[in-house]
Amino acid sequence: MCAKPKKTPDQEQYDQLEKKYETKRPVLKNCLRAFWVGGLFCIVGQAISYFYIYFFNFTEQTASNPTVATMIFIAMLLTGFGVYDRLGQFAGAGSAVPVTGFGNAVISAAIEHRTEGFVLGVGSNMFKLAGSVLLFGVFSAFVVALIKTILIYMGVI
Amino acid sequence: MPKYLLLLISLFLITGCSKHDSNEAPLSLIKATNPTPSLIHSESRSTDEDMLQSIEKDIEKQKELYDAAIVKNDDTVLIAYKVRHLQRFHMKKIEKDVKGKLEDKYPDVKFIVSSDFKIFLEVVELHEQMKNPNFSAKKAEKKFEKIVKLKKELT
Repeated sequence: MCAKPKKTPDQEQYDQLEKKYETKRPVLKNCLRAFWVGGLFCIVGQAISYFYIYFFNFTEQTASNPTVATMIFIAMLLTGFGVYDRLGQFAGAGSAVPVTGFGNAVISAAIEHRTEGFVLGVGSNMFKLAGSVLLFGVFSAFVVALIKTILIYMGVI
Repeated sequence: MPKYLLLLISLFLITGCSKHDSNEAPLSLIKATNPTPSLIHSESRSTDEDMLQSIEKDIEKQKELYDAAIVKNDDTVLIAYKVRHLQRFHMKKIEKDVKGKLEDKYPDVKFIVSSDFKIFLEVVELHEQMKNPNFSAKKAEKKFEKIVKLKKELT
């Protein structure tokens, strides 16, 4: 990558002007909100996980799969009802980073493009944002599995 | 009104789903139960009971663990335990440690060791069901096999 070109005096002056009028972001407040809301999602996830352990034949290890699926499903429903958007505005990364953010990304893209038709609108745009999650998730899982297989084969682990 | 309805439905769902007929097992999530080790099928009952008590003491000595449920069937001993919260980072190491120590001490016995809460729950339930005189040894053995199978499941 090439180095950043030096700014002209006009650009520097503009930067200063922009800094003067820019509304400051409440970083600490945003962090706290993200922390609480993200943590709240995790509590719900934990409760669902225990639900599967108590009432179905899932162990702590196997309960994670249905728990993730349920969390994503709930997030999808909440996105459809318009609740998740408000939550996202309030909590920011707290609602986007957990796995529920994935469900939100899928459904919000589908809702946004539904006027373009089911095939070319919903179908082709549904995974616009979530597609990268799937791609890199699958790819990184493949790489990690490959490394683990090699290490097991070599007798390291 | 819909809020109350939602609350009511969730209350019904939560209470309606409680298939557990035992008292201790559902509470084991929030408190230590420490059930006395039980024996399903054994050739020499007294020696096996002594062995189970000694195993229980060995488990109690481990500082990382705080609640253990032990059950023995023939030459297989199933041990489910809870790990102290901050020690949960070393769960695999603890499991290996406990299993290694017990296998060194009792080489003829097959140990199945688990820190999984589901296994713990099932073992506590089995303990309670075995207190009931109508619960046959055959049923207990069947449940034991089910727990062992559950322990082996990965996905």
